[in-house]
Amino acid sequence: MKKCHFENLIDEYLFDKLDEKQKEKFEEHYFNCPQCFEKMNQTDEMIAVIKAHGSEIFRDFYAPRKTRRSRLEPVLAFLTPRQWAMAAVSAALILVVALGVIPNRKTTSPEFLINDDLVRGSSITLISPVIDNLDQVPSEFRWQRLRDNIEYKLFIFHQKELLWTTTTKDNFVTLSENTMSLMAPNKKYSWQVKAFSPEGFLIAVSSPVQFNFVTSK
Amino acid sequence: MEKRKKDIDLDAIVAKYRPVVSFRVKKSIGVRTPDWEDVVNEIMINVVEKLKKGEFRGDSSIGTFIYTITSRRIIDFIRKKSKVLKHAPEPNPYLSPQEHVENRERAQWIADSIEKLKPKYKEILYLYYYQELSREEVAKKLNISPRRVSERVNYAQKLLRKVMRE
Repeated sequence: MKKCHFENLIDEYLFDKLDEKQKEKFEEHYFNCPQCFEKMNQTDEMIAVIKAHGSEIFRDFYAPRKTRRSRLEPVLAFLTPRQWAMAAVSAALILVVALGVIPNRKTTSPEFLINDDLVRGSSITLISPVIDNLDQVPSEFRWQRLRDNIEYKLFIFHQKELLWTTTTKDNFVTLSENTMSLMAPNKKYSWQVKAFSPEGFLIAVSSPVQFNFVTSK
Repeated sequence: MEKRKKDIDLDAIVAKYRPVVSFRVKKSIGVRTPDWEDVVNEIMINVVEKLKKGEFRGDSSIGTFIYTITSRRIIDFIRKKSKVLKHAPEPNPYLSPQEHVENRERAQWIADSIEKLKPKYKEILYLYYYQELSREEVAKKLNISPRRVSERVNYAQKLLRKVMRE
């Protein structure tokens, strides 16, 4: 089947990266082209799944070291699993003793779990909004900068469902009117920030913080 | 039946275009807006009325005709909703992460299928769709050409489409 040249615009349309004119043109097109519409619908569904289940689908990328295990396979085969377990237990014991004796100098970046995401590195401190009962829709979200060249992903949730998300290299996001209009007074929202290294690995996560506001404007 | 101009099959038109109109409405005003279904209903009623009155004269395609009605209604809706008309560019709203996920089993099944893809396809989906990097950025990260990125994205999609059509 011949490929429709509008197909190339599907992703950009779904991520809202087209300018107004291109967007209109593409929208008119998919009202007229069932093939493009079907493809777009499938891509949309796929992205929806990726967004909703990403942390579980892409576990390997969150904890990059796990994926390298394959190279270690010949080494792993050297001992049986039971022997490995024994070795691990002994190693752990030695480590505990050693750590107790040697005062730890430089700590290598720790690993911890937040909301099922395995995180290596530090956590992010959220700056504002961190209080309840704001008097209007928060227009700016701000958090502590970690270091340069980090990409932050901001998530806003309503109850447990993702309401809005964006990425930035700054340590704050200013919401547009459109985004602000997604939020209504007297409802509970929460927000969270994740940080990614230039290689795209998750390196830090903030705890989710709740907020709500009492009146709109 | 006799009254319809040129024997337009209204039921078929409604059946064909309702999903398209719904998609466009959801993308513009967001699934979070509970009124989105009402807006779709209004548009479809409007389309049927106009067709019955013979307002569609075939100057454009029927798709474009319905597209125009849809766009006008959406603009009205947004105007009414936000009297303050400050249209700051939307940074990056992938607004409908949960919209299809009503069917959790299907979503889980698709998720499992993505998980089973070869690492090189999974990695592409991760960077391109999950992290929303551009083709060029992904290319740089993986040290391959942007063209290669597109090829891999397309191939991964092709594999998933097979699953999704089942």
